[in-house]
Order: sequence, then structure tokens, then C-alpha cells
Amino acid sequence: MNNPVRIQEEDFSQDEEINALKASSQRIGGIATFLGCARDFSEGRDVHEISFEAYGSMALAEMNKLRSEAIAKFNLLDARIVHRVTTVRAGDNIVFIAAAAEHRAAAFDGCRWMIDELKQRVPIWKKEITPQGDSWVTPHP
Amino acid sequence: MIKVLFFGPVADRVQMRETQVEYTQGMTLHDVIAHLGMQHPGAFGIVSFIAVNQNQVHDKQTVLHDNDEIAFMAKFSGG
Repeated sequence: MNNPVRIQEEDFSQDEEINALKASSQRIGGIATFLGCARDFSEGRDVHEISFEAYGSMALAEMNKLRSEAIAKFNLLDARIVHRVTTVRAGDNIVFIAAAAEHRAAAFDGCRWMIDELKQRVPIWKKEITPQGDSWVTPHP
Repeated sequence: MIKVLFFGPVADRVQMRETQVEYTQGMTLHDVIAHLGMQHPGAFGIVSFIAVNQNQVHDKQTVLHDNDEIAFMAKFSGG
């Protein structure tokens, strides 16, 4: 929980992540967060479950690099990235990203940049389990 | 030996998650791809990223070393 970058099976608490972020500096004036969660419908099909797979060691290393880059690029005070790798159902949490900065613009920009970069750079794949069968998800822009 | 890992859609195509290829002096990434490609024709068409020891590589002439770990990966879809 104290590690700001994690890959885990279990769910996470947004409150606990934000509290950990706030505890890191009293200079924080704004925290922007992104919560990715599972949908029950995709590409015209009902989705029962989504199953995740990761190249764990490389994914974690890339997420740590991404966090460091974001802190430097947007002058963030701190940032956290947590991604679940398990099987989830509609409404379940998948990924949490938070960016803390002195002012909101940097927090928003840093948060947006981290989720966009994560999707392109971090070796994690999702498979949708539907009544018509299973299929790997093609990346969305 | 060279350790070879497959993930996600690529693992489904080759129907395994891990294999080993015997290391020979001067072996390149291209040699491994050619060797595995003969065993699994068409399986590598969806490979978008290749990593050697968890670092992405683009040059298939990259020279490998004994005990290297190679990963073949399709486009990522996390998040």
C-alpha cells in the first residue's frame, strides 16, 4: 500500500491512495485522479468479465519509469499508479492514477499524460469474456 | 539457453507461455524469431513489441547472450 506504484490482484481504496498522496507533502494544492473501471458492454457485445494479463516485472518497471517521468515533466509533488491484474466484472476497479501538484493545471495534465502513456507503454493485456466467446481487446485511442 | 516468453494474444497463437531456445555464439534476435516462426507459422504477425531482458528492442540484429530473456508481445491494452 505504501508503494506508490503497484500491480495487484486485489481491489484498491481511492481514499487510502489519496491519503497516502496527501501525506507526502503539505505543499499539495490539487490532486487529479483517473479511475478506470470495467464496463458491461463493448463493441456491441455484452461483457461478462474482463481478464487481465501482464508481463509483471517489465510492467512494474515501466510504470515506475512513467511515474518518475511525469513528476519531472509536470513538476508534480507526487504521483501514484495502481493497476489490477486479475479477472473483474462490470463496475469493478481496474486502474487508479493520481497526480498531486501545487496547482490544478499540472495535476490534470500529469494525470492525463500518465494514463495515456500507460496504455501505450505498459505490457498489460485485457481479454473480454462475452456470451459469444472470449476476445483480446484491441487498444483504444 | 534463451528463455522465451509469450503474453496475451501471442501466447494464445503459439499455445504456450514459455519456451527455451538453445543458445549459440553470435545468435541474434532474428535467429530466434526465424527458429520459432518455423514452428509456429503466422503466429508472429501480431507481435508489435519485443523485449530482451525487459527492455524493448527494435533491431532484430541485436546479438543475444546466454540466459537472455526474450518476450514477444502484441499491442498493449491495459488501463
